[in-house]
Amino acid sequence: MAEKNSKGDDASVEALPDKQPTESKGKAKLTAQVMPNPQVLAALQDRLDSIPQPPPGYILALPKAVKRRVKALKQLQVKCAHIEAKFYEEVHELERKYAALYQPYFEKRRDITTGNVEPTDEECEWHSDKEEEGELAEEMKKKAAIDEKKEESEQDENPKGIPEFWVTIFKNVDMLSELVEDHDEPILKHLQDVRVKFSEPNEPMSFTLEFHFEPNDYFTNSVLTKTYKMKSEPDETDPFSFEGPEIVDFVGCTIDWKKGKNVTVKNIKKKQKHKGRGTVRIITKQVPNDSFFNFFNPVKVSGHGEEEMDEDSEFNLATDFEIGHFFRERIVPRAVLYFTGEAIDDDEDYEVEEGEEGEEEDDDEEEEGDDDDAEIDPKINYSSTMPLGLFSFHNP
Amino acid sequence: MGCSAGHPTPGKVLLLKMADIDNKEQTESDQKEDVEDVEDIEEEDASEDSKARQLTVQMMQNPRILAALQERLDGLVGNPSGYIESLPKIVKKRVNALKNLQVKCAHIEAKFYEEVHELQRKYAALYQPLFDQRCDIINAALEPTEEECKWQGDEEEELSDEMKEKVKVEEEKKDEEKDKPKGIPEFWLTVFKNVDLLSDMVQEHDEPILKHLKDLKVKFSDPGQPMSFTLEFKFEPNEYFTNEVVTKTYKMRSEPDESDPFSFDGPEIMECTGCHIDWKKGKNITMKTIKKKQKHKGRGTVRTVTKTVPNDSFFNFFSPPEVPENGEMDEDCEAILTADFEIGHFLHERVVPRAVLYFTGEAIEDDDDDYDEEGEEADDEQEGEEEADEENDPDYDPKTEAEMLLLMSTGGRCLNDG
Repeated sequence: MAEKNSKGDDASVEALPDKQPTESKGKAKLTAQVMPNPQVLAALQDRLDSIPQPPPGYILALPKAVKRRVKALKQLQVKCAHIEAKFYEEVHELERKYAALYQPYFEKRRDITTGNVEPTDEECEWHSDKEEEGELAEEMKKKAAIDEKKEESEQDENPKGIPEFWVTIFKNVDMLSELVEDHDEPILKHLQDVRVKFSEPNEPMSFTLEFHFEPNDYFTNSVLTKTYKMKSEPDETDPFSFEGPEIVDFVGCTIDWKKGKNVTVKNIKKKQKHKGRGTVRIITKQVPNDSFFNFFNPVKVSGHGEEEMDEDSEFNLATDFEIGHFFRERIVPRAVLYFTGEAIDDDEDYEVEEGEEGEEEDDDEEEEGDDDDAEIDPKINYSSTMPLGLFSFHNP
Repeated sequence: MGCSAGHPTPGKVLLLKMADIDNKEQTESDQKEDVEDVEDIEEEDASEDSKARQLTVQMMQNPRILAALQERLDGLVGNPSGYIESLPKIVKKRVNALKNLQVKCAHIEAKFYEEVHELQRKYAALYQPLFDQRCDIINAALEPTEEECKWQGDEEEELSDEMKEKVKVEEEKKDEEKDKPKGIPEFWLTVFKNVDLLSDMVQEHDEPILKHLKDLKVKFSDPGQPMSFTLEFKFEPNEYFTNEVVTKTYKMRSEPDESDPFSFDGPEIMECTGCHIDWKKGKNITMKTIKKKQKHKGRGTVRTVTKTVPNDSFFNFFSPPEVPENGEMDEDCEAILTADFEIGHFLHERVVPRAVLYFTGEAIEDDDDDYDEEGEEADDEQEGEEEADEENDPDYDPKTEAEMLLLMSTGGRCLNDG
């Protein structure tokens, strides 16, 4: 048999074609790709994850009696997976219960940011974070002092609430800021609140993001919604990949744009040359335009989204799920910390349990265009709800 | 400094660069770009220059703490604190009001996690019968029925004929051996060897001892007690020590830290305690004797002294360093404990619940992704058009590829393994 050598050396790769001549063409091609290019090895590795692999050598070499018992253990493991599914359903119940407990605080937050309610002086007491102040350069502080005095002396309109609270959050969070175009900003200034609603006990598991807007020039809706549907049972064909509920689909909403205000489309002029006559005409076409508000476009996900999807779609879906998850888990619960920037440091800890560590860095990848991991499974599970015992070592 | 709206935070650019070190395929122009960005930021703010540089040095030496340092970098540069400082006073007041609300939310969150812990305790009782059955099968206390051993999608069907032959020969050979294997021999030892986090700790002299490991269990703290969990390692009688059970307890903090309430992200392991192992005479492999030659300074005579010093061993896991009261700890100690907490967490969350998948190797791919962050990032970024070609390639045969990669890798382990 060929040697086992993980560096992709000639001996192990070339041995195969000799033994199976009918498949040599495919193998040779694959070999040619694999050998010079470690990138492809990594890509193949990811592909390996999604196809059933033959067991490792020592498993194959086990006596038959022992193999039987290993299979019995696997059956037990499937039963465990089903118990785990029930566990996550109960966690979801718990989240629903606590969402109700957080609600008064989030409502107060909305009242303060919109200026409907003015907090008392006592409610505004905050021990100034000496650490943060220390990190600011002296000039920074002086500048801030000057700005403040200018604001106060100019007696400008007394700012109501916390202006541009949500749009600032969007700009601070890379995952979101990349979606926000210049023409979106004036619209997002009207965003008053973002809320999470959980599915009811007897419904299929899902959560909905509600974006509440004040009356504005752009659209008539007062709420834009996006609902993420989840699967919370192990996949019968692959029970061991179950890691908790996964987002598998979403439903957007229709935005009732006012005339001429739809930023998700743009008109372009195209020159067309008649093939026969050679005459040129200019036509105006409406094409999709980049905009945050495409977030609400309804998109159909076929089945589990694994078949017949091109790289780009799959990648966009994965990113979309990630955003939905991020809103629910981090932004809505901790909005003020994203406004001040304090939470942004913590986001690097944010785990995506499907093992797609690459997704954390997708924010950078998007800049580079084609660096997509086509194997990103668009389903994101949210068992990172329970980062129990994260290994951060506490240093008082 | 200032807001980084729509611009990649320089810290993240640095992360790209760090990942590049592992990957020589990165085009030079990209590297240059990365380098320039980083240098610019470092010049921008002189007062934080040395701090950033120190961190950079650490990062470059130890990719394992890359992620943790990344957040620190992000905190130093390109964060919105400048924007906040420039807000009108009245708005800042309201922001502080929101922060006070946030602290209250953190306390509610703590209660949430307590209830999750309750739920975990409840479900631990539901899993236990299945884990007990597992233990019985592994230790030959129970023989599963034919029905219980059915497993669809027999992986062996996916093998080439030649490999099937070889497997059959091995099976028959082993069946003929006089001692029919009982249960699943060396189950837990194999699990440990398959998990990088653990196998790093397992020395050769530990293996004969670990062969006697019968079961690994997780016990939760009772309601009303401070939150903790205990790993119980059950050993069959052996010649090394007399303990039947060797334990490790991890204590957790489940309340926000008053001085830093926003860092609260759920229960955290804060400290751990091991247990005393009653080694039989001459069998303590956590110590070794070494001979040292000493020269008398005055007389010049040489003598040989026998010293007992600590020895690398998995069983040091049960004598972790203590967390001093004042929290001051040297770097080595901190590193040991951080790794220790990681192991405890991993055993608790992954290994015990899914042991068979670590035995067969099926689970290992997933978990390496969790822990091999640096390697994965570098690889993920490099995927490009080659992917598309393979998908559309009519000659592409996944089975073939799997076999080939199986041969190329060591025992089915992740290709990215160092």
